[in-house]
Amino acid sequence: MAFTVVPRHGNTLKERMYLPSLIGGLSTTFGTFFKNISDTQAIPTLEYPEIMPTDITSRYRGHHRLTHRDDGSIRCVACFMCATACPAQCIFIEAVERNDGCDEKMPERFDIDLLECVFCGYCVEACPCDAIRMDSNIFSIVAKERRDFVVGKEYLLRVRGGYEPETSQAALGGEHE
Amino acid sequence: MNNVTITVNAQTLSAPEGSILLQVLLDNGVSVPHFCYHEALGVDGNCRMCMVEIEGQKRPQIACNTRVKEGMSIRTLSDSIMAVKRSILELELINHPVDCPICDQAGECSLQNYYMEVGLYESRIDRADKVRKAKKVDLGSHVILDQERCVLCARCTRFTENIIGTGDLVIANRGNHACVTTFEPQGLKADGYAMNVVDLCPVGALTSGDFRFHQRVWFLKSDPSLCHGCARGCSIFIDHYPQKYGDDLIYRYRPRVEREVNGFFICDEGRLSYKNHTGDATLTTPRYSGTAITLSEALELYHQKLAASGSGVVALASPSLSCENLTALRDYCLQYAIPLFGVERGSFDETFGDDFLRLNDRAANRSALPLLGISEDESEMNAALCAASLVLNFDNQTPVSVDQIHFCVHPIDTRELQIPIAPYTEQSGSIINAFGKVQKFASTIRRRHPVPPLHELLSTIKGLA
Ligand code: SF4
Ligand code: SF4
Ligand code: SF4
Ligand code: SF4
Ligand code: FES
Repeated sequence: MAFTVVPRHGNTLKERMYLPSLIGGLSTTFGTFFKNISDTQAIPTLEYPEIMPTDITSRYRGHHRLTHRDDGSIRCVACFMCATACPAQCIFIEAVERNDGCDEKMPERFDIDLLECVFCGYCVEACPCDAIRMDSNIFSIVAKERRDFVVGKEYLLRVRGGYEPETSQAALGGEHE
Repeated sequence: MNNVTITVNAQTLSAPEGSILLQVLLDNGVSVPHFCYHEALGVDGNCRMCMVEIEGQKRPQIACNTRVKEGMSIRTLSDSIMAVKRSILELELINHPVDCPICDQAGECSLQNYYMEVGLYESRIDRADKVRKAKKVDLGSHVILDQERCVLCARCTRFTENIIGTGDLVIANRGNHACVTTFEPQGLKADGYAMNVVDLCPVGALTSGDFRFHQRVWFLKSDPSLCHGCARGCSIFIDHYPQKYGDDLIYRYRPRVEREVNGFFICDEGRLSYKNHTGDATLTTPRYSGTAITLSEALELYHQKLAASGSGVVALASPSLSCENLTALRDYCLQYAIPLFGVERGSFDETFGDDFLRLNDRAANRSALPLLGISEDESEMNAALCAASLVLNFDNQTPVSVDQIHFCVHPIDTRELQIPIAPYTEQSGSIINAFGKVQKFASTIRRRHPVPPLHELLSTIKGLA
């Protein structure tokens, strides 16, 4: 069997003396420490969730939502493309006849199990109608019970696109419900 | 007919002289897109989709209307014939709505398959310029027509005209405006065979109103089985889907080709009989006095009642039980000297039979009774029932006035003891049809909480006694 010999690191005198690295590390730690307490406003970490990030791009895959047609009705035609593409098989659709003149078919039930979802975005890619999106900018999903993570059609229709300032999760103060 | 040798894409095939070229190609696994030809309906030659190149002929020919001759050399893959097929398909799809996302045919649609096989062109027609027609016409008999999706292959009209003879469906108007419609004002009846047009239609123009929107076909698993709706025992496919967090549900039955029994079709009643064997339609737990009990409680009760009745016990077997179940039941009854009858009142329906497939005898396995020595003497049964104090009823629908223990597939509205047995969809076995043909069927449905078939239950009962 062919194999490669990888040289072991850490054999130089400086490395084996250990102290120079220790001093180097501690000086970074203390340097940052004094820099931070001298100007707390400039600390790059956020006090999440009191302070929300503002730099999430619109390509971020957050909580799903179902979109609307121009007349406000549901865009989804219950074609099951998303459920077919979903690697976690966490989209549960039941279709019914649609009688409002828009189309022939729509979902009666459209549930996503957010605990099973791997947030891959395949459902969004698969949808031929742009009916499902993950642009809600909701990145933290909280609930008290497992079954509360299974979100239904009505809820998904209420979730709005997150990239107008007034509807982003940051602007809503991090509220999920 | 004597066999001749033909060459297809450099491959040599042997076929009966004078047979239909398209059928020979299809039987040998050569893919030839086609819409109007169907083995059961014969040649019509209207769709022009089945073009092949025949050596020595100037122009491409339709394979469905070409007879096999010695030494024919056929090409189905050359660039020129592919271009021909592509343009015919483009013509077929010219006014097509391509609403596959809401079309139940998607996944088993000839148009979709052929587009992937020979099409793959960019559409030259703007969607706004397409001819619009009726989108959802309920033809009756659970058949829904979408005129826009129709490719006018006339399979459906030929079925009602040549196979059933009612001529319910016609193609009206001409050119761009031609569409399928019903001839009679009462809609599509086709004498109880209407839903076969759904299988025949190569596209999503005719879809089943019963199956409509319930499941996408690519999720379904198809397993061969036998319809138990009448004594013919038609071959079917059971299309089912095990839910992720639910039971294995049946969504539809489809005919399976069995030339000696049902040919290409089944009746609508048999097709819709899947509803009796799926989901909540069957009994899943034993019941007594209107409440659910466990199987061991039920079997204990069974033995108590049996012991209390002494020699006044009579057993009735359904003539639809499989040979395996009937044999086990006969042996059980012989062992305990219980008289067993295979008569079921009401299982002959004089209004059901016709001269196509349906038979008046609604029991699936009556032919097995004499072979197994199970009595079919009705007067003897009546006498035995008069003297009986307890009747063991093995899924038999005969009305009985004495106390009964039911071994049944479906829940019965009674306070008597009911013990569930598996329907034929959940066990394997064999049945003998009215013409003496022995046919086997396999278990297709795997329930989350399976119910034992009768022969298994009987060996459990014997083990306890
Ligand atoms: S993001 Fe991925 S896992 Fe989640 S629902 Fe969509 S397809 Fe399924
Ligand atoms: S969300 Fe899109 S892909 Fe999923 S069923 Fe609805 S229309 Fe089809
Ligand atoms: S008939 Fe076929 S191609 Fe046409 S909409 Fe239905 S699935 Fe799509
Ligand atoms: S409805 Fe279907 S079977 Fe009938 S002509 Fe149209 S495509 Fe052919
Ligand atoms: S199948 Fe040959 S013309 Fe239609």
